[in-house]
Amino acid sequence: MTLSRLSTLLASGTLVLAGAAFAQGNPPTTAPANPATGAGQQSPTGGPMGTTGTTPQNTQSGTTTPAPSTGSSSTMSTPAPSSDATTMAASQPRPARADRN
Amino acid sequence: MPTATEPGARPPASPRAKRAAPFTAVSFAGVVLAAALTGLPPQPASAGPRPVAEQFAQAAVAAGDNLSQPFAVIDKTAARLYLFDRDGHLVASSPVLLGLARGDDSVPGIGSRPMADIRTEERTTPAGRFPAEPGTNTAGEDITWIDYDAAISMHRVRATNPAERRLQRLASPTASDNRISYGCINVPAAFYDRHVKPMFASRGRAVYVLPEVAPLDARFPFLRVSGN
Repeated sequence: MTLSRLSTLLASGTLVLAGAAFAQGNPPTTAPANPATGAGQQSPTGGPMGTTGTTPQNTQSGTTTPAPSTGSSSTMSTPAPSSDATTMAASQPRPARADRN
Repeated sequence: MPTATEPGARPPASPRAKRAAPFTAVSFAGVVLAAALTGLPPQPASAGPRPVAEQFAQAAVAAGDNLSQPFAVIDKTAARLYLFDRDGHLVASSPVLLGLARGDDSVPGIGSRPMADIRTEERTTPAGRFPAEPGTNTAGEDITWIDYDAAISMHRVRATNPAERRLQRLASPTASDNRISYGCINVPAAFYDRHVKPMFASRGRAVYVLPEVAPLDARFPFLRVSGN
């Protein structure tokens, strides 16, 4: 009876130790081959989940900065130079439209 | 005949020229600094088109206006496109076709108007600083947007209308006949694929279109600030 319980305890302990050893032997990766399995579900535009059609420009607050000087052909204001060149790079491409040839 | 050029194609300097290089570099830096401090004149007739673009590029870098990114300068008077690296060193240049009409502004709302409704005097290439971005037009062609709202882009030269003789205009030695488009910047196809498309694959890099009517510092305030 006592021997049987001891065997059960030893088997359980061995199983726990084996599981812990296996877990310690597999460190987490920050760059999985499939991002969906490592980082969870993400919005492709960087915006919040559950808001289809939302672009980063509409959802981010206070992260967009003006260009150093405007290229607008009709109004030429003079905002200060920006040191953040990556903000616009994260936004999506504009819809296709006709150009002026 | 104007052709695309690259600084790397220049012949090597002679030993005497190499000895004089430090003084030349110092002199050039002095000229650039003076231009940045005093503001550049609106393209005097005595100055060649390339020095104007290069001086402008140096001033833009000195002011940090290029955000430490590669950038382009379009000299409308010379009808030429210059590409610079992040430090303001010339990478390559090429003749381009520009808007038919002389002027530095776009008519408000012109970007949404049909081409057939655009009058001759409205076919301008606007001047200013534009954060370029890669994009696509309705024909499915990959282009570089200069001013999306005004429908101004930089793209491979289009010879779809033989009467416009766009290829011949690009090949001609004069700049005056390079004014034919509705405002877009037409670039030789090989130059576009080799230089323009890779440089502007990332969004937000600056394209500076130098004015042909307005003073430079009116369109580029950093020149005025540097002069204080």
